[in-house]
Amino acid sequence: MTAHSDETKQLRPGLWETVNERYPGSMITKDDFVPLAPLRKPLSESRLTFVSSAGVQPKGTMPFDVGHPVGDYSFRRVPSTSNPSDLEIHQIKYPTHGAVNDLNVIFPIERWQELAAESVIGGLTPNFFSFIGYNMDSERLERTLAEDIAEAVVADGADVALLAPA
Amino acid sequence: MQRAIEHRGIPTVSVTVALDITEHSKPPRAVFVPFMMGHHFGVPYHRELQRQIILEALDHLVKAERSGEVRFLPITWAQARREGKAIEEAAGRMT
Repeated sequence: MTAHSDETKQLRPGLWETVNERYPGSMITKDDFVPLAPLRKPLSESRLTFVSSAGVQPKGTMPFDVGHPVGDYSFRRVPSTSNPSDLEIHQIKYPTHGAVNDLNVIFPIERWQELAAESVIGGLTPNFFSFIGYNMDSERLERTLAEDIAEAVVADGADVALLAPA
Repeated sequence: MQRAIEHRGIPTVSVTVALDITEHSKPPRAVFVPFMMGHHFGVPYHRELQRQIILEALDHLVKAERSGEVRFLPITWAQARREGKAIEEAAGRMT
């Protein structure tokens, strides 16, 4: 860490404490750092995947269960060739007024497509991966959803992954 | 999630707007943007900003030297909103 959150301008400081107070045990805390995996090739040759907790999903797929008291531990594949108009958002836990006008503010699929076309990155995995961030059982999330998505990311042939925890 | 992917040998980086949660969950690499929740890549129609944040994250993916390293971007939410508003006005969109 180069700074502590108290010294920054996070727009909602104390978020971890607030949520953990309301839903004890729901927030993840780790004591250790995982070893860094090395890049195996230059970015311009690497296939990138994107993982998002924004609840973005292709129209026509089973909507995320935003009403379940302990959350939805499933994920959706979002084809990386999708147009924003092919996609919709199912979630109720973060402000979507920006994303409603331009999905790229939370799920920048058009920017990914441009960067791949320009060969800044080697390419995109066939799918991106999306779930909802409202999951009150962090142990279950780690045991099921996190492992399921990690396996799917490997199966899709990703060389690098960018994540956006909404 | 990010740790599970990194464990499988795939380098990862996240873009976060909640630094305290990042400090608790200890992802391998993160870029912090001081933006509103749900607006990790900036504001609508601001392609350059969206792109800049992605490129910073990719650069951090390449250059971070130790697990847990967080990069801070020198941009404010107020600045992002101002620029976004100007872009929308220039395009003739009602705001």
